[in-house]
Amino acid sequence: MKYIKNHLMFIFPLMAILLGIEFYLVFDRTTDTYEKGLQEGYSMLVVTKEPMKTDAFRALNRHISKSESIERNSIVSRIAKGVTKEGEAKILKSLPYFYNVHLNEYISTGELIRIKEDLELSPLIKKVETFGSNYESNYRLFSFIKFTLKIFIGFMSVVSLFLIMKQMEIWKYAHKERMQIMEIFGAPLMLRSGVLFKIAIIDAIAAALIVSSIFLYLKFYWAVHSGIEIMIQNRDYLFRITDIGILLAAALLIVIISVYSVVYSTKGVEE
Amino acid sequence: MSNVINASNLTLTYDHGRKEVITDVNFTVKKGEFVFITGPSGSGKSTLLKSLYGRIKPTSGNLVVGGVDLAHVKPSKLQELRTHMGIIFQDFKLVNEWTVAKNVVLPLMIAGYSLDVQNTQAHRLLKHVKLSEHAEKYPLELSGGEQQRVGVARALAKNPVLILADEPTGNLDDYSSNVIWDLMENACQQLETTVLVVTHKIPQVFSLPYRHFIIEGKGVYEVH
Repeated sequence: MKYIKNHLMFIFPLMAILLGIEFYLVFDRTTDTYEKGLQEGYSMLVVTKEPMKTDAFRALNRHISKSESIERNSIVSRIAKGVTKEGEAKILKSLPYFYNVHLNEYISTGELIRIKEDLELSPLIKKVETFGSNYESNYRLFSFIKFTLKIFIGFMSVVSLFLIMKQMEIWKYAHKERMQIMEIFGAPLMLRSGVLFKIAIIDAIAAALIVSSIFLYLKFYWAVHSGIEIMIQNRDYLFRITDIGILLAAALLIVIISVYSVVYSTKGVEE
Repeated sequence: MSNVINASNLTLTYDHGRKEVITDVNFTVKKGEFVFITGPSGSGKSTLLKSLYGRIKPTSGNLVVGGVDLAHVKPSKLQELRTHMGIIFQDFKLVNEWTVAKNVVLPLMIAGYSLDVQNTQAHRLLKHVKLSEHAEKYPLELSGGEQQRVGVARALAKNPVLILADEPTGNLDDYSSNVIWDLMENACQQLETTVLVVTHKIPQVFSLPYRHFIIEGKGVYEVH
C-alpha cells in the first residue's frame, strides 16, 4: 500500500504537468487551424487607378500573400442598368480597379493599419478598406481565449511543480540515509541513486502512458460519440502518435532533474 | 613496513573553519598495526576519524592515507580509496530496508562483484560473525550487538587495507563488546589489516600489541 502511495504521489503531479503539455499541444494545433481559417477568410479591398499585380502589392508590404481582381464588367452591368453600350463603355473606362488582397498570416490590428498606410503611400492606390472593426473583434476574442488558456496551463504546471518538489522532499527523507551510507563506502553517484532513478523512470513511463491513454480515449471514443460536430471534425488534433514521444521525453526530463536535485542535496551531508 | 596513515602538521577545523579541533599534529600508522585513539568528549576524536576517510578535509598540513593525499584528493580518487576501507560506526549505519546479507556485501556490490560472489561472501562473512541464521532478517530485527557484528562483517567484506572504527562498542554491553573486539583483533592478526579505533575506553582484555594515541588540548600524543 505504501509502495503504491509513494508512486501515486509522484505520478499525479507529473500527470498534471503532462496534461498541461498535451492540452497546450492540442490547443496549439486547433488554434493554428482556426487562425489559418481566419487568415484565409479575411481579405481587404483595394481600389487602384491602374491594374496591379500581386508582386506590386507585396512590394508595398511583405504581409500580402495574393491579390484577386474583382471583375469590373460585372460591377458595371450591375450599376449601369438601362444605360447604352457607349455609356457602359464610358463608365467602365472611368471605373477604378478593385482587388481583394489576402494576407500571409493572422496579424494584429496595429499591423493591419500599417499595411493600409503602406498601401496608401502608393500613388496608384486610391482607397484601402480593411474592414478593421470586424477583424479587430475576432482578433481580440481569439487572443483572449489563447491568453487565458495559456495562463491556466502555466498555473497548473506551477502548482504541479510545487507538488513534485514536495515529493522530492519525501524522497530525500526516505533515501538520504541509504545514499549517505553508500557514499561512505565509495559508491559512485549512479549506484547511489539507482533506486531513485528506477522509481522515477517507472513513474515517468506510467504518467506518460496514462495521459496518452486519456487522450486516445478522447480521440477514438469520446469525440466520435460526443455528437459535437466541431469535435468530430477536429478529432485528429486531439492526439497524435508523436505526442507519446513528447510526453515521455518531458516526463523523463522532469524526473531526471528531480532525482538529481535529491541526489545532490543529500551529498556530503554530515552523518 | 610502509605507512598506511601519515599525518604531518595536520590541522582540522569544523563549523566552516571557525573552530579548530586539532592543530599541527604529526603521527604515522604502519601496515598491520592496531591503534587506539582516546580522549575526552569533544576532543576531536571523531573529527580526526572523519578526516581519515575524507569526510572532512584538512585545513592545513598533509594527511596521506593509503598513498592518497586527502588534502588535494579528487572525488573519484576518494571514492576509490573508500572502497579499500572498512568503516564501523557507533550507530552501526546499516541500511534498514536491506536484509542483513545485503548490508554485509555492500562493499562487494559497490566493487561490482557478481551476485553469486556476493551470496557466497555473505554466507562466509555471516558465519564468521556467527549470524548465519539472521541472513534474511532486517537490521532492526537484531539486537545492538548483532547489528554491530553485521557492521564488522560489512567492514571486512572486501579485505580492506584499513579499518576505521568510531566508538564501535559505545552502545553495546560487555559481552557484545568483547565479541566485537575479538573480531577486530582477528582481522588485524590474520589479514594484516591496519585497524584504527576511536574510543573513550580501551578494553581491559585485549591480547594484541597495540599503539595508543591520546587527543588532548588540540594535540595528538602517543602513550608509551
